[in-house]
Amino acid sequence: MIANADALLKPLTIKGLTIRNRVMSTSHAPGYGRDGKPQERYQLYHAEKARGGIGLTMFGGSSSVAPDSPAAPWNQISVADDAVIPFFRQFSDRVHAHGGKLMIQLTHMGRRTKWDTEHWLPTVSPSPRREPASRTIPKEMEEEDIARIVKSFAEAARRCREGGLDGCEVSAAHGHLIDQFWSPSVNQRTDKYGGSLENRMRFGIEVLEAMRAEAGDDYVIGIRMSGDEMIADGLSQEDCVAIASEYARRGLVDFLNILGGQARDHIAHAISLPNMSFPVAPFLFLPSAIKREVDVPVFHAQRVTDLATAARAVAEGHVDMVAMTRAHIADPHLVKKLSEGRADDIRQCVGAGYCIDRIYVGGDALCIQNAATGREATMPHEIRKADLRRRVVVIGAGPGGLEAARVCAERGHAVVLFEKSGQAGGQIGLASKAGWREAMSGITRWLVAQVTKLGVDLRLNTEATEAAVLAERPDVVIVATGGTPFRGHAKGASEHAVTTAEVLSGAVEPTGSVLLYDEMGQHNASSVAELLAKRGCLVEIATHDRMIAEEVGTTNQPIHLRELYKLGVVMSPNMELIEIYPEGNRFVAALRNTMTDAEEERVVDRIVVDHGTLPVDGLYRALKGASINRGQTDQDALIRGEPQPYDLAKGYALYRIGDAVAGRNIHAAIYDALRLCKDI
Amino acid sequence: MTSLMPLTTVFPGLVWLMAALALVQGLRRAALWRVGAAAPVAWLDGLAKLPRRYLVDVHHVVARNAYASRMHAVVAGGLLAASILTALAILPPIAGFRPYWLVVALAFGVTAIGSLLVGARRYPEKQKRLSAGRFQILPFLLVAYAVGGTATALLLALGVGGVFAPLALALAAAGGLGLAFEVRHGPMRHAAAGALHLVAHPRPGRFEGRPDTALQPLDLDAPRLGSEMPADFTWNRLLSYDACVSCGRCEIACPAFAAGQPLNPKKLIQDLVAGLSPAEPAYAGNPYPGGRAGEGERGPLARLIGPDARIHPDTLWSCTTCRACVEECPMMIEHVDAVVSLRRHETLERGALPEKAVGPVTELRQAGEPGGRPLAARTDFAAGLDLPLMAGRERAAVLLWLGEGAYDLRYGRTLRALVRLLREAGVDFAVLGPEERDTGDLARRLGDEATFQALARENVATLRKYRFERIVTADPHALHALRNEYPAFGGRFAVIHHTAFLLELIRGGKLNPGRLPDLAVTYHDPCYLARYNGETEAPRAVLDAIGVARSEMARSGRRAMCCGGGGGAPVSDVPGERRIPDLRMAQAAETGAGIVAVACPSCTAMLEGVPDRRAEIRDVAELLLQAVEAGR
Repeated sequence: MIANADALLKPLTIKGLTIRNRVMSTSHAPGYGRDGKPQERYQLYHAEKARGGIGLTMFGGSSSVAPDSPAAPWNQISVADDAVIPFFRQFSDRVHAHGGKLMIQLTHMGRRTKWDTEHWLPTVSPSPRREPASRTIPKEMEEEDIARIVKSFAEAARRCREGGLDGCEVSAAHGHLIDQFWSPSVNQRTDKYGGSLENRMRFGIEVLEAMRAEAGDDYVIGIRMSGDEMIADGLSQEDCVAIASEYARRGLVDFLNILGGQARDHIAHAISLPNMSFPVAPFLFLPSAIKREVDVPVFHAQRVTDLATAARAVAEGHVDMVAMTRAHIADPHLVKKLSEGRADDIRQCVGAGYCIDRIYVGGDALCIQNAATGREATMPHEIRKADLRRRVVVIGAGPGGLEAARVCAERGHAVVLFEKSGQAGGQIGLASKAGWREAMSGITRWLVAQVTKLGVDLRLNTEATEAAVLAERPDVVIVATGGTPFRGHAKGASEHAVTTAEVLSGAVEPTGSVLLYDEMGQHNASSVAELLAKRGCLVEIATHDRMIAEEVGTTNQPIHLRELYKLGVVMSPNMELIEIYPEGNRFVAALRNTMTDAEEERVVDRIVVDHGTLPVDGLYRALKGASINRGQTDQDALIRGEPQPYDLAKGYALYRIGDAVAGRNIHAAIYDALRLCKDI
Repeated sequence: MTSLMPLTTVFPGLVWLMAALALVQGLRRAALWRVGAAAPVAWLDGLAKLPRRYLVDVHHVVARNAYASRMHAVVAGGLLAASILTALAILPPIAGFRPYWLVVALAFGVTAIGSLLVGARRYPEKQKRLSAGRFQILPFLLVAYAVGGTATALLLALGVGGVFAPLALALAAAGGLGLAFEVRHGPMRHAAAGALHLVAHPRPGRFEGRPDTALQPLDLDAPRLGSEMPADFTWNRLLSYDACVSCGRCEIACPAFAAGQPLNPKKLIQDLVAGLSPAEPAYAGNPYPGGRAGEGERGPLARLIGPDARIHPDTLWSCTTCRACVEECPMMIEHVDAVVSLRRHETLERGALPEKAVGPVTELRQAGEPGGRPLAARTDFAAGLDLPLMAGRERAAVLLWLGEGAYDLRYGRTLRALVRLLREAGVDFAVLGPEERDTGDLARRLGDEATFQALARENVATLRKYRFERIVTADPHALHALRNEYPAFGGRFAVIHHTAFLLELIRGGKLNPGRLPDLAVTYHDPCYLARYNGETEAPRAVLDAIGVARSEMARSGRRAMCCGGGGGAPVSDVPGERRIPDLRMAQAAETGAGIVAVACPSCTAMLEGVPDRRAEIRDVAELLLQAVEAGR
């Protein structure tokens, strides 16, 4: 049991609403909305957290109250008309059935959205200053706009109440309309809504007063706001404390949900959603400072990934409720496991940011390590026992193989897991060797702990041969042998290039000048560039893409770029590596500009490339002929979430998952494993 | 024949002389009991029931050791029969009937066999639990009396005399008078005091087939509270300690002794015995663990407890009040009553609670809860379950008493399981919520009767405000207080343990559990349920109803070993060489079961606190809930 766990498991009562414990999930936008409504997928995702014991789950990050803050572009929720109410009712029934409480976030995004979508209305803001992140130039709000939007907020609050939601918060964080009024970095008005802090606070006060008048004073309404915008012309910590104190003193808010920073550009966004390069709970001091000044409960979220930190935050009185939003994406049953004394079974968020990075490119939120999250309708968080106990052999203890072994063992099967090397984890072991990416190893740690606990026969340092596999008389064989790094097609690359994997494994230790050529745009090349630069190499990173780390999402890419700039790494986008040849003790790399076709040469001590991996499939091919399914996975059955249609009485079935099929990523390997094995 | 005439008179005369000597010795000892306080005794009732109490109740305990039982039946039966038969021969018609002496010889012969059985326990090597000292000469006295008596009776039966008769008679006299002499300080005291103790027992209820285990309320206005010296005990308690035969069965059963804490129940009783008289011979059994000499001033007015007194405070505070010693005592001595009486004096008169117990007891007094936590926080464990409050509805079929465990993170799981089961079964129940105070069990066992009584009165007043049929509780300590100890304070409630209630629900078809044959379970009996309330079957029946593979520990049921969690022992925290729960878990491990089923918050906390344990600790309610969910 962790220290102070009891502090987390105490109820909190706000205006007669009793939340069963101090753990919550903040409103976010997982991209699960359909037609602006929270439908089945969205509801099941939150109901799972309630089933897992969470006290309060808040949904609908940036749910819009008015048409000029469009909801559709990011599959978000529109509370701008009554059509959403029946969905709210169904949603709150689903969450309440498990004893959880449900709230929503309401907002108008002001300038922080798009005009060229949905209704094609111009964006609005207190002053016409362009936001770097959204790239829009807003219309300066007239008093009629203000009155209209205040009314929209009020009507949205009524819809929340009529939908049975336990409360709502307004977003005044991340540069939404209310904090656009607050922040002198946006608000340049000279009327009663601009100038002094008192004037800048006015719009938010009008919004909250109108909401209270419409929804009733006994309805729980809070606010999400920054404790310090952390920009020179923005709100200081003192300003934020003053705003929070004033709103609380006026009785406008029943809780304050505090975070640090804002999100007006790429790096600010990455800081406000701290990834694994940050320490845990980096901004806990901000809600703590506000809690000293106010009488209402204070909530906080920002990289509180583990329960020990969460418990400390509450026990020491920094906050009243601690939000573990990404932690619940990794494990929605976190509170239940804590209260059942199974804290060791919690799949802890590693802070990879895979969930949030996907939504900013229009995808849906998925967890790098938990493939069931967001797929509750088809994927189980708790694996049911199978009727028949099978003998399952899994080859390769990377993430895919470990997950396959785990799920099969949970199903009650006898599982043998072969691993050629002395360590489980596969390529995760390499990734976690790169500087701040160390926390990736948490994925392996949990999986290994689970398979060990479940009695999987994990055979490290044991290469699976065809004979060794067949000696186990398996019913099912799962090949998860992963991939081997590829040196690329450039002339001379196969002789003269080394791969990022070889650098991370320590097989090659480059010194002097290094050209790092990246065709993947993933973490691999950027993190290796950073590592080499820190070791004293003079590094140039070249890529075929328009930008370095182009495939890395918005909470991670800025951190890579920040580190590479700081280390003086030369970044050369729009370049293709066409040839390598030796010259003395050094190498010459020929690069071609993809836009102009102009060719350049570099003379360097070492050329490192990242072209991803090619499958390791020798064993698969050896086992394929004798298998009853010739190694094929029935895709229709897989997609429908049904068992594979093979009769195991006739022999063994052979499946291939993860990078052993084609080089992809950790989530793909784990999802391959879960959806196949849940029906074995 | 004239030469033989004196022998037929002298021999019975010897027995009469023995009786007289025993009476004198007994009265000399009994005179000391008179320093004790008066006690109400139902003499006629006690006398009438003596044979049954001896033959049924005592025998029931003695018979647990087959050898000891046979030995005692033969030697005591023979001794009594031979002596009475011989004594009757003082009448000339009987004395002159030679075949009668053959019967007498047979009776002495049986005694002789019994004497050898007595001797075999002590020679060549004494059983470890037995005391040495004067007990070591007992076999010789018995053999002398029995062999001398056999020979004398045979001579009389055969009508032969000569030199053998005086020799045989002398042997019998030496043994017989020796035995009679021992009635004051020696082994034979147990027979006389034991018989009288059965008549004047302070807890006659225990012979009526119901557990008579409630502590008797203390008159807080009395000039002296509790027992400081032997004279503070009632006379029949002093008598009861004299019944101790130093057999050491209590010592084997005592968890504190096993853990190497400085408590040995036999030595404790013997210290009370010895404290009464400076003439008492030295104790010759196993000492209190820890090597302390345990000597000190003696006499009816000498202080019993103190660092320099006969009984060290650590000894007193080591007791878990588990009643294992009482359960094992063939002489029906009430050790726990003695401990609590001594504790009452230490706590109430001297304010000498163990240092670590001061906090919890103070909080109990001031906050109604030993952790000083808000009473309203007692239901925190159930946040989200919407527990119905009595205050909101005035009546319910079942009042669920939550107890101290509700504050404990681990135990909250058990209570949540119980609440879910009650819901599943459609039971109409409610809790007191912030109106529930601690029952005061901890204060009472630690001797703070004043705090206990205050809490009892408050709780009784609260409970009497509401209408309910029964109280259900998962805490056997609360159960014991509510069911057995609150009646003295005007609160008479039907109280049932959650395992018994759940069994009713299963049998009534309200709960339909599936079966969990894959679980290997051993059940650990809580002392306050099994020994204090005689309930050993219901929890086992629940486990059997869910089809787990159930095995028993070597010590189970009413003879189970304590977890170490009762009597305030966890807060007194007297150091030992080992920890009681570690010992208990080691016993559980011998069964090979992967799950130790428990039915008490104290047991849950103590056993789950064992480091490196290989078995899971699960309350019966948690297992039942799992089965109910599996059965859906």
